[in-house]
Amino acid sequence: MDVLTLGFMQRALVACVVVSAVAPLVGTFVVQRGQSLTGDGMGHVAFAGVGLAFLVGVAPLVGALALTVLAALALYRTERSGLAGDLSLALVFYGGIAAGYLFATRSGGGLNAVLGLLFGSALDLTWGQVAAVVALALVVLVAVVALYGPLVALAFDESAARVAGVPVDGLVLTLTLVVALVVVGGMYALGLLLVSAMMVIPVAAAAQVATSYRATMRLAAAIGAGSAAVGLLAAYAGDATPASSIVLVAIGCYVVATVVRARRRRPRAAGSVAS
Amino acid sequence: MTAAVALELDAVGFGYGRDAVLHDADLRVREGELVAVVGANGAGKTTMLKLALGLLAPTSGVVRLFGTPVASFRDWQRVGYVPQRAAAASVLPVSVDEVVRSGLAGALGLWRRPDAAQRARIAHVLDLLGLAAVRAAPVATLSGGQQQRALIARALVTAPRLLVLDEPTTGVDAAARATLRASLEHLVHDEHVAVVYSSHDPHALRGLADRVVEVRDGGLHDVAPAAAPAPGGGR
Repeated sequence: MDVLTLGFMQRALVACVVVSAVAPLVGTFVVQRGQSLTGDGMGHVAFAGVGLAFLVGVAPLVGALALTVLAALALYRTERSGLAGDLSLALVFYGGIAAGYLFATRSGGGLNAVLGLLFGSALDLTWGQVAAVVALALVVLVAVVALYGPLVALAFDESAARVAGVPVDGLVLTLTLVVALVVVGGMYALGLLLVSAMMVIPVAAAAQVATSYRATMRLAAAIGAGSAAVGLLAAYAGDATPASSIVLVAIGCYVVATVVRARRRRPRAAGSVAS
Repeated sequence: MTAAVALELDAVGFGYGRDAVLHDADLRVREGELVAVVGANGAGKTTMLKLALGLLAPTSGVVRLFGTPVASFRDWQRVGYVPQRAAAASVLPVSVDEVVRSGLAGALGLWRRPDAAQRARIAHVLDLLGLAAVRAAPVATLSGGQQQRALIARALVTAPRLLVLDEPTTGVDAAARATLRASLEHLVHDEHVAVVYSSHDPHALRGLADRVVEVRDGGLHDVAPAAAPAPGGGR
């Protein structure tokens, strides 16, 4: 494994594995709430944030973070105002891509760099960028651990959670902000368009074989981390783009999990009696 | 001694836009009392229950929980809510134990895990509702009646003094309805919990309900006391 002695591979591995392990932890709540595309919408807003950062001359991370936090607040307000969930997401989604392209074209030389962040460039990361990714992931991890019980209650049933005394409104806003942090944290390594895939696909794969929510969450994080490691090494060996390779490995895990689930069910279906 | 009033609706009105769903609705439910709320589908039963729980804000009148206006009520551990089962369908695998524990989320807040008393209460409600043997099973693999009982167990895990159930027997078989009835009888008679139970079937709780209230034409109407004593129940 000489490849692991290469500095750029070490940096890519740390960043991709950390992001891909943490993203499904958040994705478990997002998927359960039927909001699988929230991360995708946030990615488009982060695109606008990066474009704006190049336009005004600040770090892309700062621009992405600022606009995704604002978008999280806007998404929360529009959802709570009674606008259908997918409609408010669509407004954020299209607004982000339009503004991002406008800012990027106005920023002159920044256009290529902005477009590069759409699919990430894991092999070009600096240790400073890796440190930023790990720091954002730690914030997300602490938030998920601290809020686990209330988030589970919210994800299962918002009305019942509210009656149980869970501060639902603040929690929904916090969850949206955490999604924004994951997207921004993953933009260098996986890209703004594909980072949200790691919030959803490992969760979908884990749900095929797990029997509890907690097990789904843990298995999804393992699938995410494993997909990142395998995908990155495969990309290096096959001279492919890392983000595409990682997401395709995760999809492969989903296919394998559905086969495992089908094989488990077959003998049971033949011999079971309904209770 | 008169039991405390758990739920009170005082001249409550509510509408969606210009369409009035409820007007001048009055209701008092005391601890140890079971009130059945009946009415045709779409009559406003769920709306009434959501108003009672503060999930909807009335356009007129006042809702009180244990004497406190619902908008400023904070002691939610005293209230349990069982929504319609379809509203609680899970996208991801979730075990019975996890569903029941989620009822403690408001009481536990951040970081904290259930203490010994809360774990004992979880075991008690699982036992009470006949779910102890399937505690670790995914909810999706259970029968409709067992799924419904898991939601009731979640509502009971904080030992509430008021339990609100929205159409709890929809889509469950006769055996499950009998188990639910026995559980409610225990809660009302032995633990003196106030129960509000909505159903489109006016005879759903015959012999067990202290009062039957019908939601009709936007108002609440007392239609009948318990029609006949439950076998051996003495009510």
